[in-house]
Amino acid sequence: MRNIRLNVNGEDHEVEVDPRRLLVHVVREEVGLTGTHVGCLTGDCGACTVMVDDRSVKSCSVLAAGADGACVRTIEYLGTEEDLDPVQQAFLDEFAFQCGYCLPGMLLTVRELLDAEPDPDDAAILQAISGNLCRCTGYGPIVRAVRAAVRSTRGGEGS
Amino acid sequence: MTGRDDAPRYFAPTDLDGVLRALDGADESTVVVGGGTMVVPTMTHGHLVPTVIVDLVRSGLEGIREEDGATVIGAMTTYSSLLAGERERLREPGHPLNLLVRAASGITGGPQIRNKGTLGGSAAYANPSSDVPGCLVALDARVRLASPRGVREVPAAEFYLGAFRTARRPDEVLSALVLPRGTATAWGYVKFKLVESSWPVVTSAAAVLPDGGLRVGVGGAADRPVPLDLPTPSEGTDDPAWRALVADEFARALDTHGAVPVDDVLADARYRTDITPVIVARSVAGALERRQG
Ligand SMILES: Cc1cc2nc3c(=O)[nH]c(=O)nc-3n(C[C@H](O)[C@H](O)[C@H](O)COP(=O)(O)OP(=O)(O)OC[C@H]3O[C@@H](n4cnc5c(N)ncnc54)[C@H](O)[C@@H]3O)c2cc1C
Ligand code: FES
Ligand code: FES
Repeated sequence: MRNIRLNVNGEDHEVEVDPRRLLVHVVREEVGLTGTHVGCLTGDCGACTVMVDDRSVKSCSVLAAGADGACVRTIEYLGTEEDLDPVQQAFLDEFAFQCGYCLPGMLLTVRELLDAEPDPDDAAILQAISGNLCRCTGYGPIVRAVRAAVRSTRGGEGS
Repeated sequence: MTGRDDAPRYFAPTDLDGVLRALDGADESTVVVGGGTMVVPTMTHGHLVPTVIVDLVRSGLEGIREEDGATVIGAMTTYSSLLAGERERLREPGHPLNLLVRAASGITGGPQIRNKGTLGGSAAYANPSSDVPGCLVALDARVRLASPRGVREVPAAEFYLGAFRTARRPDEVLSALVLPRGTATAWGYVKFKLVESSWPVVTSAAAVLPDGGLRVGVGGAADRPVPLDLPTPSEGTDDPAWRALVADEFARALDTHGAVPVDDVLADARYRTDITPVIVARSVAGALERRQG
């Protein structure tokens, strides 16, 4: 067992972990933030996506011990019920989720895309979400939601 | 929590010397973690039960630099950081990184995989379906292996011994990929797959050599990447006679290298063997176009 320090959504945590312990399990079970989901544990589905030092990763493929000292951001950081991120609002408006299992990963990935590329074309959108599997909704509404998020963000800039 | 008693020992060294110390005396039960995208899930699912984990996350083995006529890629360089430097290099069509950039931009699994997956990890994993090994063969690259006993470099074509099997010894870390400069004037790459997110069926990396010949690395078709030395097609890449020659050369190269065609759920061995000349032809056509363009 070893002690690691993580800054999660701006708060410091010190956790004792087995070297095999996954970051996703530490985030959910030790830090107690269950918005990040566990799906395949193989790196395929993207439900466990979090930001580590400002880059999206699949936290089921990250050893918590290796993330010692890292700055982690999860879906809980993105917005609150009263103050949704424009990406969250767009997914809601466009009916871009059903069961919501994929949603935390999908939202963080789209946020990362729009931060890097404020006006992506459809090919860039599809490329960005290609590591996030959605079993319910179909990717049509999801791509529409991303476009809506782009429009609302740009509209906000103009006014 | 399970397995507390048999928890592996864990090292996350902060430089190459530290990595080598951690690997001293290592055997098969020592697991090196690169970006972790393949090896961490393998441990999670119990297919790999290490006694020692050497995690390269803080090793500093990343970055791309020029070294006496060769471009050297640190093992921990991620696909994302390779792609980030793309624009500067595209001006020089024969630069070896241009081939890897093309391959990296087609890596599936989303930005999350490109942010974590490393070129060294892909090279060391020796998955027959991975993009990097076939490219290394076309690039005439060498794999740099460091251990407490010293450093050696192995040509890519000799590094791969079979599916998930390489010449790397348990106490060696793959520290870098060494790409000789000036070996080609242009590159082409084709990754053939039947479903967008699936592993490829066959990949082909083609180099146009300064003397006009071609060097090709075929991936996915066999249990290890297969190098081919081919003449430039005088009648174009559609010429049936040239394609028949590619098929013959491929059969011969399988023999020479003791390579076995892959036969799995995506495609059987016969199909893979049959389409290899077509995929090679497409990659060569792309390379020739780029040289002229
Ligand atoms: C959803 C998904 C999609 C993918 N798509 C593609 C794709 O399109 N193309 C493709 O080629 N691959 C793909 N991959 C496979 C893989 O993630 C990458 O190829 C990646 O580059 C592996 O690198 P890594 O650093 O994560 O390796 P790791 O998982 O860290 O390691 C892989 C193996 O290499 C060993 N190893 C790693 N680094 C070193 C080193 N420096 N020295 C010695 N041994 C080392 C490990 O012990 C392990 O056996 C995909 C994976 C996932 C999960
Ligand atoms: S749980 Fe991590 S990718 Fe599916
Ligand atoms: S909404 Fe159910 S998986 Fe995407």
